[in-house]
Amino acid sequence: MMIGRGFEDVNVKMPDDIFDASSHEPTFNVYLTAVVRDSEGKIIKVHRQRSHSPTANFIALFLPLSYFTNNNVSATITNVSGSTYSFSQALGDNGISIPYPNTNFPGNAPSYFLMIEVGSGQRSNPYSAYSLAAPISNGSGAGQLAYQSATLPSTIILKGNTAYFYITQTYNNISGGTVTITEVGIIVYLTLVNYTNRTAYNIGNTLIWYDVLSSPISVPNAGSVTIYYAFVVNP
Amino acid sequence: MVTPDLTNEEDIAKLIIPDDLPDGQPTLTAYIEAKVYDGEGHVIQYRRQPMRSPTQWLLALMAIPILQTFQGPSTYQAVSFLVNVLGLPSQQPTYSPSTYCCNGANILWDFSIQLGSGNHAFSPTLNSLAAPIANGSGAGQLSYGPVSVTYSGTTIYIYQTVINYSSTTISVTEIGLMGTIYIQFQNTDNAYQNTTYTYLLTYDTFSPAITLPPGAIATFEVVLTFSG
Repeated sequence: MMIGRGFEDVNVKMPDDIFDASSHEPTFNVYLTAVVRDSEGKIIKVHRQRSHSPTANFIALFLPLSYFTNNNVSATITNVSGSTYSFSQALGDNGISIPYPNTNFPGNAPSYFLMIEVGSGQRSNPYSAYSLAAPISNGSGAGQLAYQSATLPSTIILKGNTAYFYITQTYNNISGGTVTITEVGIIVYLTLVNYTNRTAYNIGNTLIWYDVLSSPISVPNAGSVTIYYAFVVNP
Repeated sequence: MVTPDLTNEEDIAKLIIPDDLPDGQPTLTAYIEAKVYDGEGHVIQYRRQPMRSPTQWLLALMAIPILQTFQGPSTYQAVSFLVNVLGLPSQQPTYSPSTYCCNGANILWDFSIQLGSGNHAFSPTLNSLAAPIANGSGAGQLSYGPVSVTYSGTTIYIYQTVINYSSTTISVTEIGLMGTIYIQFQNTDNAYQNTTYTYLLTYDTFSPAITLPPGAIATFEVVLTFSG
């Protein structure tokens, strides 16, 4: 049987909207919200925007087993220092994949969510970003913010056909001056494991998601800002 | 003060899932493509439509690269999201006497495409098609080939080829992108084993149906494009 004779000999009509991504039904959206409070805890600014930028690291980690095994390929993960590592899921001995918590104490090599990092710079190509341009350090010095622990979701929230979860983290400004945020990213501490040679690759801090804010956010001294990343299907 | 303080989940939800932002490109757009070839290789049907109906399971699968698996650097328990939403174990029992690093357990996943001949109302908690078409050559069955996945930039392509070896025409009215999670571990015999968990990631319908006459081959493709 011959496959793939041209379409010109059949009645094929492309839907008019199919090539224009902007006219697709929204299927999955991510929103970035920042709530700024003053020294008395009052909300003084709410910043909301669409989040657009899963990084190349995210997409590599999301790729399915078949991609690696059928094509005999690997993907590249780049940590925040710019070091690159190979990632290739496989069942059995030869894969390099994400570890899972287990009852064998020496067999654990933790891979975990680290933080929503904020910064004062800007990457021109968010997809290929592997670090924030100018991360704001955790601390109380000039230009620093005191990072509180991130709150991770424990479930998905359903509301009609909408399903969502969100991650949030608060930062206190005890620096003595105003701190301005222009970029935000999700950082995980990534470990990959290889069964064959019983090796853990400590990839370390890895940027999974990155956004440049549509307008800068100023956090006053003694104030705080809370960042929300909301991941939503069927919004 | 620009807004009342956030006192409950309802307030937070209204704030963080805004419906008043200007239109913009979604973070993920997707479409489905189907081509049907007759026994001589001529394309006899072609359909391409936006994918509209991701389930909560797609959201949950996409959460894994973001949340990862461990609760922390020294907490060897799975993040509660994986346990509560996906039903994965909080800790995978594995071969205990091993003193080796890193051969305890790991997590992988794969995609496939399931076709069906039914139709049911969408819900984000759906976990199966209404009437899945079984793999085979009997009446009402289709022979599924291996799934193929390619990737370019921010787009992932998932292909599934099916052949109608039966003697009757088969109508495809629904399609689902399936996800299978594998927890791979060393069992008590110190051998590799895996446990699988399967989910319906997206659910869409074809109207009118896509029909495969006897001897027809069809390729179904799901294309996922991230905004990047």
